[in-house]
Amino acid sequence: MTGDRARPAVETRGISKAFGGVAALDTVDFEVRWSEVHALVGENGAGKTTLCNILAGIYRADAGRVVVDGAERDFRSPAHAIDAGIGMVHQHFRLVEPMTVAENIHLGWPETPGVVSQRTLNERTERFMGEMGLRVDPTAKIWQLSVGEQQRVEILRVLARGARVLILDEPTAVLTAKEAEELFAVVRELAAGGLSVIFITHKLREVLAVSDRLTVLRHGIREITRPTEGATASEIARLMTGEERVLDVEHRVVTGDPALELRGVSTLNDRGIAALRDVDLTVRSGEILGIAGVSGNGQTELAEVICALRGMEAGSITVDGADIASMSVRAVTDSGVGHIPEDRIGMGMVTSAPVKDNAVLHSYWTEQFSQGLTLNRQSVIDFARKLVEAARVQTRSVFATAGQLSGGNQQRLVARREALAADRLLVAAHPTRGLDVNAAQEVRSTILDRRDSGCAVLLISDDLDEVLLMSDRIAVIYEGRIMGVFEAAEADREHIGLLMGGHSITGAVA
Amino acid sequence: MTPLASMAGAVLSATPWRLERRLEVDAKRAALTRIGGAVGAMVVVGILLLLTGRNAFLIFWQALDAIFGRQRGVEGVALRAIPILMTALGVALSLRMKVWNIGSDGQFLMGALAAVGVGIHMDGPGWLVLILMAAAATLAGAAWILVPALARAYWDVNEIITTLLLNFVALQLVTWSALGFWRDKEAAVIQSTREVPFTLPGIPGADSVTIALLVPLAIAAVLWWVFRSTTIGYEIDIIGGNPRAAGFAGIAVRRRILVVMLFTGAIAGLGGMLQLSAPGAQAMNAGFSAQFGLSGFIVAALAGAAFWGVIGGGLFIASMFYAGIVLQTKGLSVYIIFAVYGVILTGIALGEIAARYRVARRDAADESGAAADEAVAARKGAGP
Repeated sequence: MTGDRARPAVETRGISKAFGGVAALDTVDFEVRWSEVHALVGENGAGKTTLCNILAGIYRADAGRVVVDGAERDFRSPAHAIDAGIGMVHQHFRLVEPMTVAENIHLGWPETPGVVSQRTLNERTERFMGEMGLRVDPTAKIWQLSVGEQQRVEILRVLARGARVLILDEPTAVLTAKEAEELFAVVRELAAGGLSVIFITHKLREVLAVSDRLTVLRHGIREITRPTEGATASEIARLMTGEERVLDVEHRVVTGDPALELRGVSTLNDRGIAALRDVDLTVRSGEILGIAGVSGNGQTELAEVICALRGMEAGSITVDGADIASMSVRAVTDSGVGHIPEDRIGMGMVTSAPVKDNAVLHSYWTEQFSQGLTLNRQSVIDFARKLVEAARVQTRSVFATAGQLSGGNQQRLVARREALAADRLLVAAHPTRGLDVNAAQEVRSTILDRRDSGCAVLLISDDLDEVLLMSDRIAVIYEGRIMGVFEAAEADREHIGLLMGGHSITGAVA
Repeated sequence: MTPLASMAGAVLSATPWRLERRLEVDAKRAALTRIGGAVGAMVVVGILLLLTGRNAFLIFWQALDAIFGRQRGVEGVALRAIPILMTALGVALSLRMKVWNIGSDGQFLMGALAAVGVGIHMDGPGWLVLILMAAAATLAGAAWILVPALARAYWDVNEIITTLLLNFVALQLVTWSALGFWRDKEAAVIQSTREVPFTLPGIPGADSVTIALLVPLAIAAVLWWVFRSTTIGYEIDIIGGNPRAAGFAGIAVRRRILVVMLFTGAIAGLGGMLQLSAPGAQAMNAGFSAQFGLSGFIVAALAGAAFWGVIGGGLFIASMFYAGIVLQTKGLSVYIIFAVYGVILTGIALGEIAARYRVARRDAADESGAAADEAVAARKGAGP
């Protein structure tokens, strides 16, 4: 298929895609040349993955054209895209864990012989790996492999199907630093061999390290496409984050007592890898401390460790001077801590239960709703009705299941519920993620109300605009470390953007 | 959507109508659609019987007459209902937490076996022995699910396999006791334990039904109240709906799973004692449990784990089985009867699904809500 090498490998012309009236991509022109590594950069929700999902045949564009090697294409499924030579390696692997590497690579591959022995499979795999210069033990079971090796199998799987344009979606998100370095080498080699690689990332260091050219997307619009050579991290950071402000929030300098204090806190993520490293943080009553950072740098674990949902390896956390190390989740809640969890459907609510039951999830045991063992149904219903009205949740009844609510309504419900539970501290993790402008503003005003009534707020968000807008002070987190803390007045977007990407002030990589 | 509902949706897609999920399903509708399903199934059965040259009207009349036409029929249904109701209540409780206790047969048998052990070895006033038998049966039922419950609660071991396999172990133990250590050496049958010399008091006016019938009714009432008006019921429903959210709310999820599973075993175990304390059923043999656990499981699943629904469903299924036995004596083949059971149960299952949907006219307003939800989900999933 690689006819004219001067012609772009893939290009999109005026691609638009909206989800329910919200534009995810707005007339995007994008072009990838042969033999290049093209970094696709942008914040969360900028449209990077949506664009690549269109190229890989997972979504269909509302408008615009996809041209592959000079021929216009209309992919109706990922199979069409792979036929045209475009393959995508997703952030979450799609491998069959109990099967071997060779079996996984041959699974669903039209060239797999109908009757075949294990040995032939292994030999074919060996040969193919040799051609590609990528090695994994073909007889190993997937679950025995490290994440980096599994990713290699995914890449081989896509290459085996004849992909000439390889899309890697946030490939380093799951890798250790060493594995990431190895991946960069593989990617460079594949490009040198004539393939094109689209490398989705929001880590500036990776962009500079691996790509030939880069395209920055912001809010579904292409900001720039340029050669990586000569680009600076700060320039990319500025293009990624923009400069807009939606709503004017008065920032304060608060000097009161600390409501939340973390001293030397370290903890592990679910995979047993260090997620927080020696974190010191203080949040005072009546202030919002924003945590800026790219998601996956320890924010989830930070929220969980404060709410006693995750244990600590080292350090201490106090809420109003009381050590929470020995406290149960319930005791922490009772001491006045509310938590808007990052995963509202997975953790913050029970979608199969009625709205009324969800309304009291974090308070049903209090005197307001229960006496001894009995739960006062009527007071639960009354409270739920009030909550629904105050949070302006659109639902036909508090008896309808929470799963029937739209995402915005679910989040309004959870945010208001947790704000009410938070007397002393509100931990808000990505509170407006995925919400439209109105719902986001309402959730933000709920949080600001809590601050104004003297509650301490820890705001975690990967939307830098939101952190800058809302926070009285800003802490930047990168790979589980706090890179710096700034007063809102002295916060510099570009500087914070650099820290988020792992660059320290002097430009050196942390 | 269930596969069935999406199939129905696909059929409707060419029409101006579409299948829509109900926001809430009230108890009345849930009951009515199931009854509708059963009635519809019986119409289908009737037509099939007529087509094969049988007098369907006579058969249905004989069935109804056998059950309601005489006291013996009503009592026969009640006797069959008790063990089914007990196992079904246990399973229904576990289903509220999305735990699948497939082992109620084994717990039922172990309960009965413990009751036999107490009953044949203890002297004393009958009421005291019977109470101790009930206590022993309850503990034995709970003990029989202890290992699966611990494994499920603390090591996330799938309870379906462990509870199911223990059924066979329980059956072997019963056989061993009936053939061996508790064998009735004077009885004509070889495979039987000795007889417990006590029975529960009968219900006034009844020939064979004892106050055992009140036990499942009382348990259903208690469970209904627990899930309606207590924090414990609320917590179990939350764990069943989303264990992570339960942990988020500070519920001790693992301990709750353990305790609730022990209760489900205890209820089934007590069922074994109730079965054993009916006049004429006071000894155990290999045929003691006619797969009551399986029937109970079907009842609990079809009732959607609603406790009054379990009572209604249990009585219905017991009536159906009783009618089946009577019809066999009237010359209807056992294969036809089993086929009829299957069709009727399928009808109820369809009714259970139908309760959750309604057919609505397709228009723009209906679609926008779904589209907006989809958009939010997509944006959330779209990631960076």
